[in-house]
Amino acid sequence: MTATYLDAPAATELILSAVEAGEAVAVLVLMPPSAEAGGRIVIRQAPDGTLARVGGSGDDILDSALQDLARNAMDGADNAREGLHSLGTDDDPGVRFFLEIHRPQPELVIVGAGHIAQPLCSVGALLGFRVRVLDDRPEFATRERFPEAKEVVRIDMADPFGQVSLTPETHVVLVTRGHKYDYACLRQLLSRDDDVRYIGMIGSRRRVRAAFTQLIEEGFDRERIAKIRAPVGLDLRAETPAEIAVAVAAEIVLLWRGGSAQPLAAQERILPRFFKAAEGVKASDTD
Amino acid sequence: MIRTEDVALYRALDAKAKAGRPCALATVVATRGSTPRKVGAKMLVDPDDGLVGTVGGGCGEGEVLEAADEVLRTGIPQMVRIDLTKDFLSWDPAVCGGTMDVFVEAIRTRAEDG
Repeated sequence: MTATYLDAPAATELILSAVEAGEAVAVLVLMPPSAEAGGRIVIRQAPDGTLARVGGSGDDILDSALQDLARNAMDGADNAREGLHSLGTDDDPGVRFFLEIHRPQPELVIVGAGHIAQPLCSVGALLGFRVRVLDDRPEFATRERFPEAKEVVRIDMADPFGQVSLTPETHVVLVTRGHKYDYACLRQLLSRDDDVRYIGMIGSRRRVRAAFTQLIEEGFDRERIAKIRAPVGLDLRAETPAEIAVAVAAEIVLLWRGGSAQPLAAQERILPRFFKAAEGVKASDTD
Repeated sequence: MIRTEDVALYRALDAKAKAGRPCALATVVATRGSTPRKVGAKMLVDPDDGLVGTVGGGCGEGEVLEAADEVLRTGIPQMVRIDLTKDFLSWDPAVCGGTMDVFVEAIRTRAEDG
């Protein structure tokens, strides 16, 4: 079989259509010194997990190894990170591919279209989220108030997510005008079979405690309750709506990237270490 | 955060390929140590219309642009190693502390196919 690598424009069209369809996609780019360096194989993953490969090396064994690599990468396996991968045997060092993964755009659903929702929608869109804003009040749930939102939806607060699709990639932030609405949302989220990726709820200590108490009394699963971020956001002493939006967005990035939330200066301690080392030198000079 | 910059770059690549504009694509494929961009960062070089994206923001980008120029002339892709481990007090911009391997390739335009 001859190789059927895609060129970059053909691969690009496939990548863009996969991203638009909400599918994950792996791209394998053949690296030098192979004669066909720059040739690409694109492997799309449908939401049900099935893979569809376009382009090939012409070698069935290599193609199936590449497909395994792509599958592992899309599953988030440690041995299949983005970057260079050599596929070959001890006798034959084989060929090198650059592996890259594109995941579907994650979603941010903001319930409550009030003064915090506005900057949160902007920051969310800036971070690359597909943002939807939900509220029952027609004067708040308007496109004019949320120009960066993909969608502004009028909902019935008695059944907040009744008409709204949620996926395991959805991040939900509850900033409604009253704790009874936030609570109705929590109940509905915890009653679903699937967890969403993130639930954050704004609120004072008292309101949050009351909500948790009520959920436990109603017999909801404790592990799922424990995943709710309430009060939502990192402690920045945020006061204005924009500052609160940044604190909430920072928490979402933190969970996404797995950071420590510590200031880098405090963590790296470059200057304190420098002073300590300098003192050590001085001390040994006098010995 | 979700590489929306990739989507923007791919859209630009798609548009340029369809418009028949020859351009080069640079992709960071490997890094060691501290580097300004991570694996997967990309830059599209259109000699007549400037850059989309960045692989270094000044750090080592000159070398990538030179390679892009050559790749556009020869059509042969290149792997460029960018060394950012210059001594700090040299006041060279390349003091981030690491090295990056950047794959630079010419993008075939659709016009060439037809």
